Amino acid sequence: MRENSRPMIEARNVSKHFGSFRALHDVSFSVAANEKVVIIGPSGSGKSTLLRSINRLETIDSGSIIVDGVNIADPKVDICNVREEVGMVFQSFNLFPHKTVLENLTLAQLVVRKRSRAEAADRAMELLKKVGIAEKASAYPGKLSGGQQQRVAIARSLAMNPKMMLFDEPTSALDPEMIGEVLDVMKDLAREGMTMAVVTHEMGFAREVADKVIFMDQGAIVEVGTPEHFFTNPSHERARQFLSQIL
Amino acid sequence: MSTSESPQSHIDVGDGAAIPTKSDVGLFTAWRIAFVGSIACCIFLAVYKPDPYLAIFKFVPDGILVTFKVTVGAILLAIVLGLFTGLGRISTNRLVNGIASLYVEVIRGIPLLVQIFYIYYALGRFVRIPDLFSAIIAMAVCYGAYMGEVFRAGIQSIPKGQMEAALSLGMSRRQAMRHVILPQSIKVVLPPIGNEFIALLKDSSLVSILAVSDLLRRCREFASESFTYFETYTVIALIYLVITLFFSKLIGIMEERLNAGK
Repeated sequence: MRENSRPMIEARNVSKHFGSFRALHDVSFSVAANEKVVIIGPSGSGKSTLLRSINRLETIDSGSIIVDGVNIADPKVDICNVREEVGMVFQSFNLFPHKTVLENLTLAQLVVRKRSRAEAADRAMELLKKVGIAEKASAYPGKLSGGQQQRVAIARSLAMNPKMMLFDEPTSALDPEMIGEVLDVMKDLAREGMTMAVVTHEMGFAREVADKVIFMDQGAIVEVGTPEHFFTNPSHERARQFLSQIL
Repeated sequence: MSTSESPQSHIDVGDGAAIPTKSDVGLFTAWRIAFVGSIACCIFLAVYKPDPYLAIFKFVPDGILVTFKVTVGAILLAIVLGLFTGLGRISTNRLVNGIASLYVEVIRGIPLLVQIFYIYYALGRFVRIPDLFSAIIAMAVCYGAYMGEVFRAGIQSIPKGQMEAALSLGMSRRQAMRHVILPQSIKVVLPPIGNEFIALLKDSSLVSILAVSDLLRRCREFASESFTYFETYTVIALIYLVITLFFSKLIGIMEERLNAGK
């Protein structure tokens, strides 16, 4: 047993509205260290909002989210310190188009982590090799395919040595033939023991990698369980309906 | 309608792919005709009728220099003012945002000529500074507001995901602005800044109503001494035209370079 059993992410009774629209309703869940949690659900169910609220890209109306021991709902908390430790990968990659691939990976290391230029470049090249794209280090993101861009984006987050990684529909903007290469990188990461929270529509990935599947609908968590349980015998009608539509 | 009607009987208005590009010969020569033509006019007039044209041309270089001083000084100041105004306009701090917005609204609602008088005399009440500087400040305060809108639009044209990506890597908003957003905005704002520069160059003729000896004022002085109003104003128009055409070409080339770099 690990002596540190404190969860990496612990959300309690989180609620959020966009105007009158109820985006999140009394959501509670936790992600333990090294755990891989996959969040699924129909569009508009609040999965992305939930994920984005973990590093306060969305603020919450009530409840608390404790990330690595820090309550990020507390406005006095310096969120930058938390974000350094929480990598995030976006659906639309969001690489910096005015910087080369290498500079994309070194920028935050230099500015935030205050690493030396050589140290940052070493770390960047190591990760570019790992995601299989080292030969593109001096290219600009615009010259890369979607799959390559997303792998660079993952490497960019990893360059900060985060304690956990959030993935917000990382393959949804990709052409079908490029989804595999990105999922492979994510699977490698999972195997190495990274703590991961993933919003995705890739059920195969969820089944293979997840320790825990969270199913959301209309801003609330409907069902939480292991992939075997969720995909073979979900307890809620709504989850059954969802699975029958997509599988 | 008979089908025998000539297909040439209507005027083609280009749209989409049919819009003529800048490299199209017809459009390119329009600039050439204006530029070469106006220079040729100047030379022709100076040679053919040295009195009074050559005298006018000899009289105005000082004025051109002053016009440039006002324009360059004002544009630099306006860029600085505009950057801060633009940042203020997107600030979440209500006070900062309010001040920036108020500045833009007030300045845009007052004619430039009135502003120049107002700032000139208002400054004159409190400090004794050379007329040239009050003129530069007056122009900069006005153009700073327009420039602020250019910067605001430039910053807002950068996709939201860029700021989010920078923040998620642990950068502060300030760091994200400096390293991620502003460097990308520069490409967007350079062409409109170029246009503002040309507009300012032309509007700088308004400072001739103050005691600033710019191009227009120099010429007016000459005209009122020699009573050659028509000739003098012909020369002024030609000189402004040549300068403006020159810079608009320069900006066009710069813009093409920027696009080529994409």
